[in-house]
Amino acid sequence: MSTRSMTNFQDSAAYKIIDRHKKLIIAFLLIVFLFVIGEFTVETFLTLSQVLLTLKLASFIALFALCQMIAIAGGGSGLDLSVGYMATITAVFTAAIMEGRNSHLGVAVLAALGLGLVVGLINGTLTAYLRLPPLVVTLAMANILQGVINVYTAGKNITGRPSPVLQTMAAKSTGIFPNIVFLLLIITPIVMILLYKTKLGLKLFGSGANETAAYLSGVNVKLVRCTSYIISSTLASIIGLLLLGNMGIAFKDMGSNYVMPSIAAVVVGGVSLTGGDGNYIGVILGAIFLQTLTNLLVALGWGDAGKWTGFGIVLFALLILYLSNRRKR
Amino acid sequence: MNGKNNNAVASALKRFVSNHDFPRLLILIAMFALTAVMQKNFFAMKSIVRNINSFTPLILLTMGQAVVIISGGLDLSVGTALSLLTCVATSVMRQGLPITGVYALLVTFAVAMAMGLINGIGIGFFRVPPLIVTFATSYIWLGIALFLRPTPGGETVDWFQVFYKIRNIESAPASLKAFGEIIPPALVLIILGCILWWIISRTKTGRYIYAVGGNSESAYVTGINTSWVQIKACLINSVFIFLAALFFVGQSRSGDARMGDPLTLKAIAAVVVGGIALTGGRGSVYYAFVGALIFSFVSKIIFFANIPNAFQTLFSGVIIIIAIAGSQLYTLSSRKEMEESKLT
Amino acid sequence: MNQTAKVLEATGIRKHFGGVIALSNANLVCRSGRITGLLGANGSGKSTMSKIITGVYSADKGEIKYNGRPVRYRNPNEARQDGIAMVFQNLSLVADLNVWQNIVLGEEENKGLFLDNRGAMEHSRAIVDQLLPDLDIRKMVHELNPGEMQIVEIAKAISENPKLLILDEPTAALEQAQVKSLFDTMRALVKKGVAIIFTSHRLWEVMEICDDIVVFRNGANVASIDFAKDGKDPEKIIGYITGETKEAKTEKKARTVSGETVLQIRNLNYSRFLKDVSFELKKGEILGIGGLAGQGQHELMLALAGNYPGATCDAKLNEKKIRLTRPAYAIRNSIHLVPGDRQLEGLFLSHSLFTNIIFPKLGLSRQPLFTPRKKYRKECQGVIDSLSIVTHNMDMPVNSLSGGNQQKVVVGKWLSFDTDVLLLADPAKGVDVGAKRDLYDYIVGQVKENKMSVILYASDNEELIQYCDRLLIMYEGQIVATLEGEEINDETIVATSMRVR
Repeated sequence: MSTRSMTNFQDSAAYKIIDRHKKLIIAFLLIVFLFVIGEFTVETFLTLSQVLLTLKLASFIALFALCQMIAIAGGGSGLDLSVGYMATITAVFTAAIMEGRNSHLGVAVLAALGLGLVVGLINGTLTAYLRLPPLVVTLAMANILQGVINVYTAGKNITGRPSPVLQTMAAKSTGIFPNIVFLLLIITPIVMILLYKTKLGLKLFGSGANETAAYLSGVNVKLVRCTSYIISSTLASIIGLLLLGNMGIAFKDMGSNYVMPSIAAVVVGGVSLTGGDGNYIGVILGAIFLQTLTNLLVALGWGDAGKWTGFGIVLFALLILYLSNRRKR
Repeated sequence: MNGKNNNAVASALKRFVSNHDFPRLLILIAMFALTAVMQKNFFAMKSIVRNINSFTPLILLTMGQAVVIISGGLDLSVGTALSLLTCVATSVMRQGLPITGVYALLVTFAVAMAMGLINGIGIGFFRVPPLIVTFATSYIWLGIALFLRPTPGGETVDWFQVFYKIRNIESAPASLKAFGEIIPPALVLIILGCILWWIISRTKTGRYIYAVGGNSESAYVTGINTSWVQIKACLINSVFIFLAALFFVGQSRSGDARMGDPLTLKAIAAVVVGGIALTGGRGSVYYAFVGALIFSFVSKIIFFANIPNAFQTLFSGVIIIIAIAGSQLYTLSSRKEMEESKLT
Repeated sequence: MNQTAKVLEATGIRKHFGGVIALSNANLVCRSGRITGLLGANGSGKSTMSKIITGVYSADKGEIKYNGRPVRYRNPNEARQDGIAMVFQNLSLVADLNVWQNIVLGEEENKGLFLDNRGAMEHSRAIVDQLLPDLDIRKMVHELNPGEMQIVEIAKAISENPKLLILDEPTAALEQAQVKSLFDTMRALVKKGVAIIFTSHRLWEVMEICDDIVVFRNGANVASIDFAKDGKDPEKIIGYITGETKEAKTEKKARTVSGETVLQIRNLNYSRFLKDVSFELKKGEILGIGGLAGQGQHELMLALAGNYPGATCDAKLNEKKIRLTRPAYAIRNSIHLVPGDRQLEGLFLSHSLFTNIIFPKLGLSRQPLFTPRKKYRKECQGVIDSLSIVTHNMDMPVNSLSGGNQQKVVVGKWLSFDTDVLLLADPAKGVDVGAKRDLYDYIVGQVKENKMSVILYASDNEELIQYCDRLLIMYEGQIVATLEGEEINDETIVATSMRVR
């Protein structure tokens, strides 16, 4: 092999490393871009307290986005639209269990895990084994959970209160830093290790990257995908506890507004929606971007309407950028 | 000669009974009968009109969704698209200025077409997976609708009730009112939708929608502009959503940014119950109609079964899951052999 | 000589895919009113040639003249509009439309506002009547059997009234009677002045229907024979197809392996692809699977690897009954597959070498939750060394490797397993010569040390001749011949593969 072709190869290798993190870089630049716009159009956009608040709110988006990332990673056009109501239903039930007492926290956690397991099992079975479109199945599941919540909360206003421990974890701050941010800092490396260093994570990504190759290598792809929905739901259920801790009360729509941002965060974070790929750091960046966008739009006085339009347009544009599969010949 | 004719009739009947869609018709008849038993005065004119009115939006949206699904797409944005159209219409109209109603018709139709075009470009031209691209656009529609109508409300012109109850329009000629009593406007809208599809299904566009949904690559190799066909399918869907929006505005006389949300999933489920494969290319838009009817009767039955209001969402969710899973099991079992040969 | 007008003239066509040269310097002339046969072994470039003419691929070099005018189509549609119709090997039908709708697809005519269905049905009926009069044109295409689908495909091409018709392996799925009516139709078309290019693996068909033939070998045309002038001599044609392989043939000892039976397969059936396949594999043996392309070899390999839950067979490994209905079962029983399409079936392209190589271990039940990274990285380095994979490090994504090195990664996945039976499906496809040698050297070495037995399917007969101890020839899902020792030579293989029937 001549030296010249060797350097070419090195060039292309370096290029590939940049290429591999291209989406991360884009996500980061998008955040910077928003802050610049915000700084110029809104007064006191870039203050410490504002940034910390953004981080706190973005943490919840990032946690929900983790559910999506796991559901997506296994491939089969996976996605979980039921995470929002999953979190809500847990919050509603566990609030009633805890009634503001720390002593009942253990039972509440067990209940959360159990709920998540059951819902995830149903989602997983319908999508992996019956080969139904995950978006349709999980949307229907969201409907059912919403229905259960409606039945349970009919005629009641507040169904209970979280335990103080939960409130400390989710709502309070240590010094100036919100505790939830610390929680995210703890969770992130755990997630990274689980996804990239354990056999479950590797099997999950393998099933998403190439279903046939994974199957021929002896992996039970259906089981792996089913498991990914169970994890997603269980995680959403735990997030429900935190959400309850943050809000102090449980109410009907507390989780459903996070579904769209969680998917948008995953896409902004550069996770391939076809599965088999994904970097949780990117997803966290995506969540920060979306929260910053929300802040900016709210500061400009465009409220909810602006938020949803903005999220929709960002998601639409990035989908076309990342997933476009135009015919070329 | 006669014997041969008899044979032909017998074989046609046999073909019909062994038809894939036969069970659906049986279910429809059963649901119809059950509703008829449970609803008092089911056959009274008033009840019939009321039933048609409550069925109409779902039927129209289901037929539109069916067109998109047959073309190989899927639209998760129909619900918010419908909401947005009601908000647009009620924002354009001014009470007491009948001409604004005409403006509203034009603007709403233009917005409907624009939404179809955007979805179509995403699905057909950029070939992004349809579910996720329409998920994104559904939030764009929702955001714009919230801009226009943060809370439900808005003005309408009197004559817009021509799409709901002609009797309510004071200035309407007596003959039109009489017509409206015999044939409710909702039914006219459904018939319009059916005629629309009837015409399209007899043109190249109709044929190509099936071809592209069935096998996009083959269609492309045969020289069909697959992107354009999928865009057209989305535009046709928009027409159906537009018709549903007219009915809604006529009925509720207001716009609401969140009213359409629950209809998206119901329409998809009704399409599945109508025997249309979610993978595209297969099924009939008229059977989507059947699916929507089955669904509507089921919700009537739930209603008349005296189930508390709070249980309604839960029940409809469970029924949707059961319907989708059941249809899929039925399809999978009857096509096992084909799937197997497809593996290679 | 009263030669008719040249409809198509292709000169100096060159085409490569990645590092593989499919056509090096190919020429082809078709004349109106004549049927030109394209012959050649698997992978000799026949199909590529047809696809370049119709614009599916574009040539790297060379010129194509159609009716004396230079053309370069960007897609099949442009070619169609110019009167060039092609029947594709992989069907281009829409399964959810019925027969007549497929025949007129893309060419529908309106009558007033609506489609002229009656006219289209009559038009389709007339064409189908020539080919297969019993076919109900209102049947959905997914209800048809493969032969009928092929007929519809041909009818679709004919319905466009082409001036040049390209039939790429049209008879592979057809029954004898259907072939006969196809030939009648072809003769009728030729009488009307249509030029036809006909590709087939079956020599007797080519000899029966063609006016002249062009033989391809290794991406170039090596012979043109005008049957009227030069006569029909099958031996000579086979000679052209196989070429100078006799001289190039490498030294090979005809090994007769007489060890105990490792794998015994009885009555393997799968859908319409495999019919009662039975054979035995001995310890330390390389058993070849040959025959024309697409006769079920691919399916056989996948079935042995447990890919088809629907496949049925009695399988015994070392006298022990085993089930082969899941890849995991096969792997547990030390039957390991190197699949034929490495990108679709073997690799996670965007993932690292390391992940790809250790991946099959993850399916093992004794695998701990946390992957022992250090140990695995050492093993992975061992794989890279023993197969001499050229890469910077094991964290590079495999899509940065060349085809040959990618193939080595696929083999490398099984290196740390105790493989009893290695299934190799076309391992040298799209692999450069050096990598191919590395691979086979390694595998033959393992086999000679009696470490494993191999079942090898290769589309290139040369590899089979060089490495196999025994060779099974497959035809339409069945094993039709077993070649041993001296019988494993190119002539016998080609003859047994083609002369069946």
